[in-house]
Amino acid sequence: MEFDPRIFIELFAETIQYWWVIVPSIVLGLVVGAIPGFSAANTIIMLLPLAIVLPIDVGFVAMIAIYCSSRMGAGIPAILVNIPGTAGAAATPLDGYPMTQQGRGQQALAISFTSSVLGGLITTVVALIAMPWLAEVAFYLHSVEMIVVMLFGISLIATIATGDTLKGLTAGFFGLMIGAIGADVVYEMPRGSMGFLELYDGIPLIPALVGLFAISEAFIVIDRDTILTERGRAAVLHSTGWAPTIEGVRETLKRWWHVVWTSIIGLFIGIIPGAGAAIASFVAYQQSKTYSKTPELYGTGHIEGLIAPEAANNGVTSGTLVPLLILGIPGGATAAIMLVVLQYHNVTMGTDLFVNNPKLAYLPFTAMAVTYFLMIFTIPLLARYMSHVTVVRTVYMAPVVIAFTLVGAFVSRDYIFDMYLALAFGVIGYIARRTGYHVAAILIGVILGPLLETYFIRALKMSQGDISVLFSSTLGNILWVCLFLNLAIPIWFERRNGRRKVRSA
Amino acid sequence: MTEEALGGANAAAKPLQKPRRSASAEMIIPVAGIVFTIYYFSTVWEAPWTAQVSSFFVGCILILCSVAVIVRLALAARRGTMTLDLETLIAPRNFIVKRLALLALTIGYIFVIRWFGFTLTTFIFLMLAMLVLNEGRHPKLIVALSTVLALGGWLLFVVAFEVRFPAGLFETLMRGIL
Amino acid sequence: MSDDYLFELHRRRFLMGTVATITAGILSSGRIADAYAADFPSKNIKVYIPTRQGGGADLNLQLVTGVWKKLLKINFEPVFQPGAAGRVAYEQYMGKASSDGHELLFGNMGPEVLNWVVKKPTFPLDAYRYFFRVDSDPSIIYISRRSKFKTIEDIVAAGKKETLNFATSRIAHPATIGVLALGKATGAKFNPIPFSGGRNTRNAVATGEVPFGALPSASIVIQQKNFKALALFDDKNVLGGKIDNAPLVNAKFGTKLPPLVSARAFAVKAETIQKYPDRMKILEDTLRKVVATEEYKQAVIKAKAPWELISPGGQKECAEYVKNILAIGEEYGDLLRGASAKEAAKKKKKKG
Repeated sequence: MEFDPRIFIELFAETIQYWWVIVPSIVLGLVVGAIPGFSAANTIIMLLPLAIVLPIDVGFVAMIAIYCSSRMGAGIPAILVNIPGTAGAAATPLDGYPMTQQGRGQQALAISFTSSVLGGLITTVVALIAMPWLAEVAFYLHSVEMIVVMLFGISLIATIATGDTLKGLTAGFFGLMIGAIGADVVYEMPRGSMGFLELYDGIPLIPALVGLFAISEAFIVIDRDTILTERGRAAVLHSTGWAPTIEGVRETLKRWWHVVWTSIIGLFIGIIPGAGAAIASFVAYQQSKTYSKTPELYGTGHIEGLIAPEAANNGVTSGTLVPLLILGIPGGATAAIMLVVLQYHNVTMGTDLFVNNPKLAYLPFTAMAVTYFLMIFTIPLLARYMSHVTVVRTVYMAPVVIAFTLVGAFVSRDYIFDMYLALAFGVIGYIARRTGYHVAAILIGVILGPLLETYFIRALKMSQGDISVLFSSTLGNILWVCLFLNLAIPIWFERRNGRRKVRSA
Repeated sequence: MTEEALGGANAAAKPLQKPRRSASAEMIIPVAGIVFTIYYFSTVWEAPWTAQVSSFFVGCILILCSVAVIVRLALAARRGTMTLDLETLIAPRNFIVKRLALLALTIGYIFVIRWFGFTLTTFIFLMLAMLVLNEGRHPKLIVALSTVLALGGWLLFVVAFEVRFPAGLFETLMRGIL
Repeated sequence: MSDDYLFELHRRRFLMGTVATITAGILSSGRIADAYAADFPSKNIKVYIPTRQGGGADLNLQLVTGVWKKLLKINFEPVFQPGAAGRVAYEQYMGKASSDGHELLFGNMGPEVLNWVVKKPTFPLDAYRYFFRVDSDPSIIYISRRSKFKTIEDIVAAGKKETLNFATSRIAHPATIGVLALGKATGAKFNPIPFSGGRNTRNAVATGEVPFGALPSASIVIQQKNFKALALFDDKNVLGGKIDNAPLVNAKFGTKLPPLVSARAFAVKAETIQKYPDRMKILEDTLRKVVATEEYKQAVIKAKAPWELISPGGQKECAEYVKNILAIGEEYGDLLRGASAKEAAKKKKKKG
């Protein structure tokens, strides 16, 4: 399974010839990615009949292109109107939306797209080269280790809450408590579901997402003329042409190292079956802030704060392919559907594939690389023209946002109930925002809380209730130390900076 | 999009009013947290241990944090640095009616969609909401916008993506025609 | 619940102006009902499915309805209600569906009936009846091909030395009960770890998080390259080489466990059976015809679902199955509810 660069170059050249599949798939992916509630997985499910009858290579390339571009598409509403369409984009508005409000929407889109594309390209290449070793990751990260990985993500609550720690923690734990609604993973006893059968499986993510972010926002902005601040509006109206786009691309390229390491975080998390884009983008954001020289700027429209989640969630895309191709283990829903199609064509995964059919084995990666490469050309157009949406008056925008995000809340499960739920989260979000509790902290709790509990309970069930299982694995213990350092370092930095200030004063 | 819809440069941007912080408004989230946690505990009291451990831990921290926040707010209110009204929540006051109307329309939207279907309900909702928010100005633009958006939504969600909304008059009619 | 490995053949017609490669013919999903159908069925039949779209039940249903709709000259409208391990679908069906025979439920009798043992449904248990079983999928014990274990005896021997964890889809599942019953009979200790869904349950064994797992056989057949079946809970092995000629648990250990199979079946409200015996006869007779057609067989084989598992059965077989699974459920009820003696003791100790 050694990597042979010649195959890659040859394949890249060959894959370019699939442009006629890739380009329409990119457009489709961007569209469905941008609609809340629709995901790459359900788009590919809809296209399954087609994917099966097409020649395997064409079908596979199309699925990959949709998968990659939908991730990028999800960033558009997250940045422009504060609606993360999928959980993977939930960390994107933290800094993306403030940029929009300041009138830097076009620039923000350019940054998001560039870091998506770069992050995707970089991790694709890394995954391709290091695939045999990366595949082993899945064998070492089990429930215990995943508990620590989850805590990395959840510690973002504390990081976000820097302004008012106590209120931040209250918001975060409020979210965790809401996330605890639903049946427990082992005995499926319904908990805190207020008698609603619809809540047995826990809080559905999309209604929580659109409620906390979009619907609450719609109710808040109506006392303003547009979502932009006054200065922001002036900036948008005076900015013409491509300048902000170019600026955005340049700013991202200047921070290339940031893109590299945050996308690698995404790659690693993507490899772990069951993890995924949401946890990756939160962990990346948290790491980015922790090791930043200017952590106080995060959440105010800081460029690194936008790069981190976007690079990371595209890194996940490459990551999920690794266990799929090498082990036949699909890490997530989209990968599972790809597996179905491959199996339909009698393709067997694993070492055999790389030995007997190396072209097909490497095709998904080159297809990914080509997709990202072709997506580069969509950046300027999308960034420039999509950003105009921000100057639409709120009297028109708010009702549209409400109606269409409620559709998003409905589609994932076809329950009218979920629309009411989205509205309820909208009310919670409205109160939280107006009274200074961070909705992102609540959301992290709602998204990551159930995941953490699942791993935690499973680990405890495996050890038959022995809590020391949490410290029973070497890798787990290393991760615990990292987590501890990760939380301690910023405090230490702050102290040191504090002393310096005192000294210089 | 017309000049009006895009909010021309001459449209006055209202500065965001910053009212004094009100302690009682800020207490809503922690109080809700405590109430919910107590309710939650009551539902898992008899459950197997796997259903309890994690949520007991989270719930206890939530209660601790919430109580601390409430105490802090109460002290601030006693000192007079914070108020005991809901101003933070409802300001600016001239928007109370609009917000409540929008809320009522949203509830109505969800409520009637099962009978009227997506397209018709969306059209009515968009039109009424825009008219209310815009205080009845530009009715022609609003009707046009609502029509285009509702039809666009129908094409995208019902026709292309086959979202399984309850079918209403319009959907049934169009299915007959198509 | 082998839920993710199968696909839907043609569910939704997806109009994409953007994808130039689409040809409309590929996707056409059936004809409008012919006008001259007999007085039953007089309109499309709605089918409630307690699992998600794209899962195993979805495929099974499509394979059946693909032929069935031609016999009945109507179309089928699936309604997916995957919430609360199927509970949502059943309660919605019992609450909302009409009893004129135009609304059916298509579920998995194994895990879904075990739900009622864990927590009583809102309706009396005899208010609905399964009337036609489509397949019968035995639970099996499987390991990863990388595993250090080789045979079922190795597993039992290891379980006698120390408690062995195993992956399962849910606690309330025939496969879980099978492994626990095996443990009880042999004195080995097995600890079920639920991974919710076939995909995760396979992954847990593949990545070595747990040494072995238990699932319905179909989810392992399609992944034979990665997994090896060690034993199955049935009175015959119809799959043979497709599951490595795994031995029967009863034959190997002299146990007398009933067949622990998952079985997909159609159900109706009990009042439909009383009020419309003629309609029921049409439904049952045509279903029997469907599974006997060559067209259906070819469709099953083409979809890579094991044909050997197709095992039609009528009301009697279904009723017997439900009786059996309820009895097993009651026997292991404490475990399903998480209140086994051991757990309870531990809980007390923890509190004290």
